[in-house]
Amino acid sequence: MNQAAPADRDERVARNRASDTSNGGGVSIFDCPAHVKHAHRGKRGSEMSAISVHNLSKSFRAKVRAEGLGASLKALARPSYRVIDAVKDVSFEVEAGEVVAFLGPNGAGKSTTIKMLTGILRPSSGAVSVLGLDPSKQRSELARQIGAVFGQRSQLWYHLPPSDSFRLLGAVYEIEPKVLERRKGELIERFDIGPYMDVPVRKLSLGERIRCEIAASLLHEPRMLFLDEPTIGLDLVVRREVRALLAEIARCDGTTVFITSHDVGDIERICKRAIIINHGQVVVDESMKVLRHRSLSRKYIGVKYASSVNLEFGDIKPVKSTDTAASYVVDTNEHRLEEVLRALVGRGELEDLTVEDEGLEDIIARIYCTQRVRA
Amino acid sequence: MSDAAQRANSKARLRARLKVRKYAVAASSALRERTAYRGSFLGSAIAYGLFVFVFSRIWASAYSDRTDIDGYGHVQMVWYFIVAELSSFAFSGSFWSLARDMKSGDVAYLVSRPYSFVFYSYAQGMGRAVANCMVLLLEGAVLGLLTVGPPPAVSPGQAFGVLVAMVLAGSVYFLLNLALAMTSFWVEENAAFYWIFQKLALIVGTLIPIELLPAKAQIVAWWTPFPSMSYVPARLFSAWPGDAGAGELLAYQAAWVAFSALLCHCVYALGRDKLTVNGG
Repeated sequence: MNQAAPADRDERVARNRASDTSNGGGVSIFDCPAHVKHAHRGKRGSEMSAISVHNLSKSFRAKVRAEGLGASLKALARPSYRVIDAVKDVSFEVEAGEVVAFLGPNGAGKSTTIKMLTGILRPSSGAVSVLGLDPSKQRSELARQIGAVFGQRSQLWYHLPPSDSFRLLGAVYEIEPKVLERRKGELIERFDIGPYMDVPVRKLSLGERIRCEIAASLLHEPRMLFLDEPTIGLDLVVRREVRALLAEIARCDGTTVFITSHDVGDIERICKRAIIINHGQVVVDESMKVLRHRSLSRKYIGVKYASSVNLEFGDIKPVKSTDTAASYVVDTNEHRLEEVLRALVGRGELEDLTVEDEGLEDIIARIYCTQRVRA
Repeated sequence: MSDAAQRANSKARLRARLKVRKYAVAASSALRERTAYRGSFLGSAIAYGLFVFVFSRIWASAYSDRTDIDGYGHVQMVWYFIVAELSSFAFSGSFWSLARDMKSGDVAYLVSRPYSFVFYSYAQGMGRAVANCMVLLLEGAVLGLLTVGPPPAVSPGQAFGVLVAMVLAGSVYFLLNLALAMTSFWVEENAAFYWIFQKLALIVGTLIPIELLPAKAQIVAWWTPFPSMSYVPARLFSAWPGDAGAGELLAYQAAWVAFSALLCHCVYALGRDKLTVNGG
């Protein structure tokens, strides 16, 4: 599925904007701070596409060199190149206020796409519009309206405290000093970063730094936030805190959030829609609810018997087994669950039986693998 | 003027002020970052001190049987070297950090912000250079006083002229470093360009004044930016050429600043499209 149908999109946006907790309750961790509710709710009014991408492609020319001295000398005189298609003919739309996960295995083209969306890279072909602007031609105007957090690249000055970087970013975005002070105060309170503002960044823990990074990216009140691996390297507790903050930003400010991550927890907690890209192409574009429904046809069954039994029956073979216990993965499109369970119960004296849905991580991994085989 | 016009006027003034302010804040942030670690000056301070000491001994030997070389006395020559080397040490070196950012692709994150990349980089470079200058100036002054005694007397007006010359010298140094670093947009390995640039800068006006070069080399030298980078501030400090002469030298520097800035903008405009970023 390369592009969601308009009707699907409308329904999805409506669902996203509803204040329910249909994605597992992840976005309802905190109430919106009072000042945020009043200050930014209005932004949700816009119905225009926040991101519109049509047939986007990006190719790089990479130098190739064969092994050996002769080949090296030849390459000096006549270098040869190979064209790498990092992104191929990608199309999708993101509505204002949506929270979208942009997923894919390493080298799939995620970061290249996000760099084209933020105006860092110029597309080889295709059309991109972000907040109604062409990122490669209106980079400066777009920069004032978007925030970006690249997990592996800091925008804070390493030897200076975050307060200095905030001051510089405020100046870069031409925020009036009074407004900057107010905004800084709001973000310090919201992200609970007051104690770190005067500590050199090099002395902050990764979690503290990332909180400051995200706060810094929101200083100029962007309408859209791009996050590239924002929780990379964080421990479980800090990751959870960062996710809660991102969910709050999306929910309370109406900020459109476009996030790439390998962490399924990020996606489950924050996002309502997932676009999966592989080999430079969109392979899945659907709501998290629909994505999770994919798991309903796959069940993980665990059994434990009091004594040794034959654990194979028909074409159902255990994926893991001991003499008395086994785990099965059953596709309910091929086998009726009831029959499988009845067969398992009848094989011996049962001590334990569990039936679980496939986890989101497994679903995504299966999509990656399926696409790899097809490619 | 009506109230509305006054408000519009003051808004326009505020916007203009905010546009300029970002470069001032970038410079002050770079200055603070540079001074955050005292240890970061150690390498350049040791190398600078060693250079000044060795050359002060060489000049002492050269002046053992004479009092004047091409219009420069011993004291003038040593102070010339101290100021010329100060300029060389304080302002050069930005090439490496800029080229590293270009090659790693980090520059891509810097260019996608609402500012002029060239001016923003320049502001940061000059901020760092101010910190370098303060430390090396102190060291150079101590070494000069210890080796040859006080420098030639300088009036407040002349001191101001030297200060302006230093700022212009730093500007040419930084902008040319940036232009060279931006050749990374086309050439994978561009350190050779910088190596040639650095050596020429050393020969033309840093190690020795331009007047000591052969006549034909002097003519060629004046058509290059190198005299504006070390020679002019060192000459103004050690052997003030009269107000008119100083004015000409400062105008020469200003012309090279304008040329270097234009060059940077052209290289950047052409190279921007070549920008590629690692990863994907």
